[in-house]
Amino acid sequence: MANYFNTLSLREQLAQLGKCRFMHLDEFTDGVNALKGKKMVVIGCGAQGLNQGLNLRDSGLDVSYTLRAEAIAEKRQSWKNATENGFTVGTYEELIPTADVVLNLTPDKQHTAVVNAIMPLMKQGACLSYSHGFNIVEEGMKVRDDLTVIMVAPKCPGSEVRAEYVRGFGVPTLIAVHEDNDPKGEGLELAKAYAVGTGGHKAGVLMSSFIAEVKSDLMGEQTILCGMLQTGSLLCFDKMIEEGVEPGYASKLIQYGWETVTEALKYGGVTNMMDRLSNPAKIKAFDLAEEMKDIMRPLYNKHQDDIMTGHFSATMMADWAKDDADLLGWRAETAETAFEKTPAGDVDISEQEYFDNGILMVAMVKAGVELAFETMTSAGIIADSAYYESLHETPLIANTIARKKLFEMNSTISDTAEYGCYLYNHACLPLLGDFMKGIKSDVIGKGLNLSDTGVDNARLIEVNDAIRTHPVEAIGATLRGHMADMKRIV
Amino acid sequence: MDMSVQSSIELQSLTVDFDERFQLVDIDWQLEAGQHWMITGTNGSGKSALAAVLAGAGDVIAGRIDGLPSRVALVSYEAQSELIEAERRKDDADIMDVISEGTPVTEILHDGCQDTELAAQLVEQFGLTGLLDRAFRKLSTGETRKVLLVRALTSKPDLLVLDEPFDGLDASTHQMLARHLASLVGRTPMVLVLNRFDECPDFITDIAYVDQGRLLHKVPRNDEQAYADLYQLLHLKTSELELPRVDPVSSLPPLDPAQPLVRLDKVSIRYGDVTIFQDLSWTIEPNQHWQLTGPNGSGKTGLLSLITGDHPQCYINDIFVFGFQRGNGESIWQIKQYIGYVSTALQWEYRVGTSLRNVIISGFYDSIGLYSKYTDRQREIADEWLAVLGMSERANEPFNKLSYGDQRLLLIARSMVKHPPLLILDEPCLGLDDMNRQLVLALIEKICAGSETSVIYVNHHPEDKVAGIENYLALDSV
Repeated sequence: MANYFNTLSLREQLAQLGKCRFMHLDEFTDGVNALKGKKMVVIGCGAQGLNQGLNLRDSGLDVSYTLRAEAIAEKRQSWKNATENGFTVGTYEELIPTADVVLNLTPDKQHTAVVNAIMPLMKQGACLSYSHGFNIVEEGMKVRDDLTVIMVAPKCPGSEVRAEYVRGFGVPTLIAVHEDNDPKGEGLELAKAYAVGTGGHKAGVLMSSFIAEVKSDLMGEQTILCGMLQTGSLLCFDKMIEEGVEPGYASKLIQYGWETVTEALKYGGVTNMMDRLSNPAKIKAFDLAEEMKDIMRPLYNKHQDDIMTGHFSATMMADWAKDDADLLGWRAETAETAFEKTPAGDVDISEQEYFDNGILMVAMVKAGVELAFETMTSAGIIADSAYYESLHETPLIANTIARKKLFEMNSTISDTAEYGCYLYNHACLPLLGDFMKGIKSDVIGKGLNLSDTGVDNARLIEVNDAIRTHPVEAIGATLRGHMADMKRIV
Repeated sequence: MDMSVQSSIELQSLTVDFDERFQLVDIDWQLEAGQHWMITGTNGSGKSALAAVLAGAGDVIAGRIDGLPSRVALVSYEAQSELIEAERRKDDADIMDVISEGTPVTEILHDGCQDTELAAQLVEQFGLTGLLDRAFRKLSTGETRKVLLVRALTSKPDLLVLDEPFDGLDASTHQMLARHLASLVGRTPMVLVLNRFDECPDFITDIAYVDQGRLLHKVPRNDEQAYADLYQLLHLKTSELELPRVDPVSSLPPLDPAQPLVRLDKVSIRYGDVTIFQDLSWTIEPNQHWQLTGPNGSGKTGLLSLITGDHPQCYINDIFVFGFQRGNGESIWQIKQYIGYVSTALQWEYRVGTSLRNVIISGFYDSIGLYSKYTDRQREIADEWLAVLGMSERANEPFNKLSYGDQRLLLIARSMVKHPPLLILDEPCLGLDDMNRQLVLALIEKICAGSETSVIYVNHHPEDKVAGIENYLALDSV
């Protein structure tokens, strides 16, 4: 199989990358009708598989699960998940031939094997749905011509997909149709109905393309989302120890600090996160972020370039072929870092203190979000897409670090994200080495502790203006506005 | 050891802050050796807060508190829901892509246990034996309560503080707990928060009445006149209750009056090898009112969630509701539109910071939180309900800062706002004080007397009878 993206002409590549549109609620008035009475068979019953299936069934659709014969015979957890919830479960051979829509909700790495196994069993003219486009775009999976291929990707963890539905809402969702596989022209209608079935239409649907999804998703997850938070954690912790900050305090400030500062990001963008700092601290964070952006810009460009050319996926798939030798080695290394081995101390840190004593962390989030967004948009990805894959998802990863620190964060995100995260981390740590030499505990660990918090008016206006007029803030305000409009309550 | 039991606890001009949520003001209170106190008051008065202060909660702003023993055991709804919330946070399902089980009951019980023999005995008496390996957060409301009670009782505390210990317990468990508490007299000083005067155990020597964050009355049990006055104060009858109108615009698709509202045919719920109930048949006709009873864990809530569609096994049972044979392409929102629903579980799910008014309006949309643009008429109706509850002035306050009892009242109003054909009240009075319980029961009676709504009322307390309910369904223990 060849990289699909690379088979397209530049014109087609740009057209696909630039595909992204926020859909209006009135485009979903047909509800789930396009899927009514059709047989939907889900492959995989993990958190996404189970929870999407529960929602679709509660929306009046016919859902069953297919698992590998071993998983059924051994009554594995996936089998229990499906049967205890009252779903029909069967083998590929039993259920795939009956399916009008097959929902592939297995991990990326299994896609080639899974799709090759089910394709010969699928009904003529049926639909195959993905929640990530890697298999199609990077691995170049060629799906049978008579099959419709779509993508429906809720931008939240599976448990949230369910919880929001039960509340009467949903989570933001990205949909796409693989244009090479839309023989009956029904792909979009099916994807829309699927998004309605999971409740996604209430929270906002982005119509994108397989290519835009893959190229932006990979970029976001390996740079700002996982890479920057991992690199930042290690650098900030080591610096605090060097500066004599108590290790338990340092560990806690980082483990929970990302979550706290990005919570402010979630509600009001970079502007609000920066506004949580005192005026002198904000100016400090701004300057640090500008400096880091200059240092890291070539690295972000390299990641985006490697993703675009397919170099990244080729490297990673070579590692898959070596039974994940690199990935597992790097994962083990992460477990041995000083941050990972120092438990969070039993100290009280107030919400505001995470900002006041974590100025460098705020600066890192700002630098990472803005750089990832700038790099993606300059590579032809639409701002809406770039926003979701950078700023919107940062709090989700920060939340996993708060719960699980780095080693477990890396084990729980997709292998694809994890692999990219390590690549970034290994390049970024030395890259920021000189910069970190100039860092003291006033910006990480102890706070500025100024007796006079006065600032120069002109300078403050200049800094505020630069923060607020960054393009990620404009699109962020619009997209959060759509959410707030429909979701009156946060 | 004896010293700690003998010494008195003294609160002097004490002012305590509970986040931005609540303040106890200028409390003067002396708990002498040999006394056992009951704290009472209306919902939101601060009686739970006062109890929690004895366990070290809140920030002392002024005054002092002396003589607090080091080991205080506290069981309360707040503590219970905090623990459940902590368990929920521990759930890694969303990030691990696996379904996690959570902490088993044994581990929760083991935490702080000072007397394994007593623990074993209480586990048996509370009927928890079969649940020891079950995940704590999978237990029913009554069951989690029992686990926390056992944990407190076996921690050998120097002071035992129980906030509504009898609420949610079935009659036999209630009696057993009362006997056990009576056996502690002379050994362990006790402070009980109780909404119901009729639950006040004989060993209680003194009563504290809290109102708006102040300790207004301290009444010795043997002062009969003062005791009666206090009882009266709490029983204050609400009069002239007028039920707010229905909204003609957002009215529901009509139902066939010849069909039953609900018909369950030989339904069952099973988890793995455990059967909660089986072969249960139940038909609810329009305008029939039912009371559903059964011991903790007998599956009352499970049975109700088969009707509401919240239980995933509703798709593998023979269930007919509101004209839909389940599992034939109907959506749960088509079912839920006909149902008003209140339960403890709903209250735990309803963790949003929206305004009181929006909570009531969300009843029109069957949503937790409000995601729809509502009409002016719906807003007016919500305001009428707030007036009935005596909360007009608080329409814009955030819901999640309300006291437990006030939240319950709001959710009951939310469930009734659309005048649903079926109203399910799963222990609606749990956690409410006498006065508010009167209010709620009066509301339920009004609904029952009308012609448009059938009521299913789940309740442990035989004395909370509702006029108009004539049908009874009792579930057996598993």
